[in-house]
Amino acid sequence: MIDRLETPVGWLAKASAMLGGSVLIALVIITVVSVTGRSLIAIGLGPIPGDFELIEAGTALAVFAFLPWCQYNRGHARVEILAKRYGIFLNNIIDLISELAMLILWSYLIWRLWAGTLDKMSNGETTFILQFPIWWAYAACICASAVILITATFCLARSARNLMQHRAPRLEGFHP
Amino acid sequence: MSNLELGLASFPVLLILIFLRIPIGLAMLLVGIIGNYLVIGSMNMMSGQLKNLTYSTFSTYSLSIIPLFLLMGQFATLGGMSTALFKAAEAFLGHRRGGVAMAAIGACAGFGAICGSSLATAATMGQTALPELRRYGYSGALSTGTLAAGGTLGILIPPSVILVIYAILTEQNIAKLFVAAFIPGILATIGYMIAVSIYVRVVKDAGTVLPRMPYTDRLRALAAVWPVMLIFIAVIGGIYTGIFTPTEAAAVGAFGTGLVALVNRGLTSARLKDAILSTGQNTAMIFFIVFGAAVYNGFLALTQLPQSTAAWVASSGLDPMLILVIVLVLYLLFGCVMDSLSMILLTVPIIFPIMTALDFGMSADEFALWFGILVLIVVEVGLITPPVGMNLFVINAMSKETPMIETYKGVFPFVASDMIRVIILVAFPALTLFAVRALY
Repeated sequence: MIDRLETPVGWLAKASAMLGGSVLIALVIITVVSVTGRSLIAIGLGPIPGDFELIEAGTALAVFAFLPWCQYNRGHARVEILAKRYGIFLNNIIDLISELAMLILWSYLIWRLWAGTLDKMSNGETTFILQFPIWWAYAACICASAVILITATFCLARSARNLMQHRAPRLEGFHP
Repeated sequence: MSNLELGLASFPVLLILIFLRIPIGLAMLLVGIIGNYLVIGSMNMMSGQLKNLTYSTFSTYSLSIIPLFLLMGQFATLGGMSTALFKAAEAFLGHRRGGVAMAAIGACAGFGAICGSSLATAATMGQTALPELRRYGYSGALSTGTLAAGGTLGILIPPSVILVIYAILTEQNIAKLFVAAFIPGILATIGYMIAVSIYVRVVKDAGTVLPRMPYTDRLRALAAVWPVMLIFIAVIGGIYTGIFTPTEAAAVGAFGTGLVALVNRGLTSARLKDAILSTGQNTAMIFFIVFGAAVYNGFLALTQLPQSTAAWVASSGLDPMLILVIVLVLYLLFGCVMDSLSMILLTVPIIFPIMTALDFGMSADEFALWFGILVLIVVEVGLITPPVGMNLFVINAMSKETPMIETYKGVFPFVASDMIRVIILVAFPALTLFAVRALY
């Protein structure tokens, strides 16, 4: 069952990350255009209005979109120096607990983000220059969060499978 | 338990979770949220804060520099600039004893000028320089040690992702920190070259000598690295002169390296996809830890622990230099088991207020710069110290015929060079601060 979900969930997490990457590349282009425009004020051009606001909202969306891939690919930083001493069983237990905590935590965080979205919706707060409602950005992040929950649920099931089948977990985490 | 005791007790709990291999960001979040509950007595405060804290953390303008620098580094690895840098450095240094290894160090430094991450620098230069070093008969130990150490220049020479994080945590000017890192970065490059030079004299047959290149060829090789110079000047010069904000500079840098990769046909759709996935994974990892650190540090601030500790240390009459040395040694030890970024996020909010409460005979701003560079260097040493130096693993994995123990041996002179540099920089703060004083 879990094995059959591996591919579609991985695909979803990757697709979400690619979406985040597209947002990031769009931010690069917006910034370069804006900086170029600003340096050419003399000939009548100018910066893109509200470029800072776009970068802020865009980065938040990109980060939410990147998170599922990071969890799916076991990319969160950990200290693995003692991992070999724990043996397969204990490592699997630790993984199961981490993934469970991750799922509960993200459910809580997204529920709070939803509450934040409703707040921003009701008070009608907008950004300073572009005047777009801030809840739009919140709502976009909520949409991206759906993938976080799907991935986190899958990761929990994956670690449960590893525990039951006594599979050795992959011991790696990317360190910058 | 009093609030202060709760704050104190949170350290061992956090460390146990982290050493149980719970993701570091998750551990900080759990301890922070539960600690907050214990101090306040209800979840009301946390629940209220978390309505906005995720979005506001992830949308912080100064943090948006991080994915952009990561993307810039990814594009830089695809641009073929590592080969040009290596050829140029080799043209100037190849005829010396151990010259090809020195050239690898020089190329790493050059690559560090357009890449803010250590692992990316080690991996990229490893792919380029490792086959060359082996072809010229350099031993596995020296080749892998050189490149693992050279990779750390990626983080030390600006731009640097870790310095950005430090600047945000301590509310320092990113441009000044980059300027302050410049001379220590050059010292590191020279120190590593000296380490190579001593190594090949002590261990015979570790390296060979190439014929001397005429100056016209040298200049031609140097001219080939113009995109690197242009991007570096645009990014760092732009930040320094204030033409760009640091975030804008990172975007310009990502655009520049992306363009070079495109022109050099390094940016195929498959590679672009890998570059995005890698940028995404590291961005998510970093922001998750940043978020965890925000929650955990919010809890610590509630317990008044950082303030109390700082006041206690300041009134204890201990020698500031002694405390500095103890802190740096602790960072070195921790660096052996933990990655540099998590370590900075975990410790700087606690250590920094303590250190600023001490009198080192310089202004608070200058101290922050000096301390930041010292911390940066000692944590990056952790990348090349056994048992879990990531650079060692990455480079060793590229050189299948070299046993891990050889890499450990090969990196030793570079670690020694790092130690000597830290001592020099501690003894002479002016080396770090000179450039900042001259330019600002």
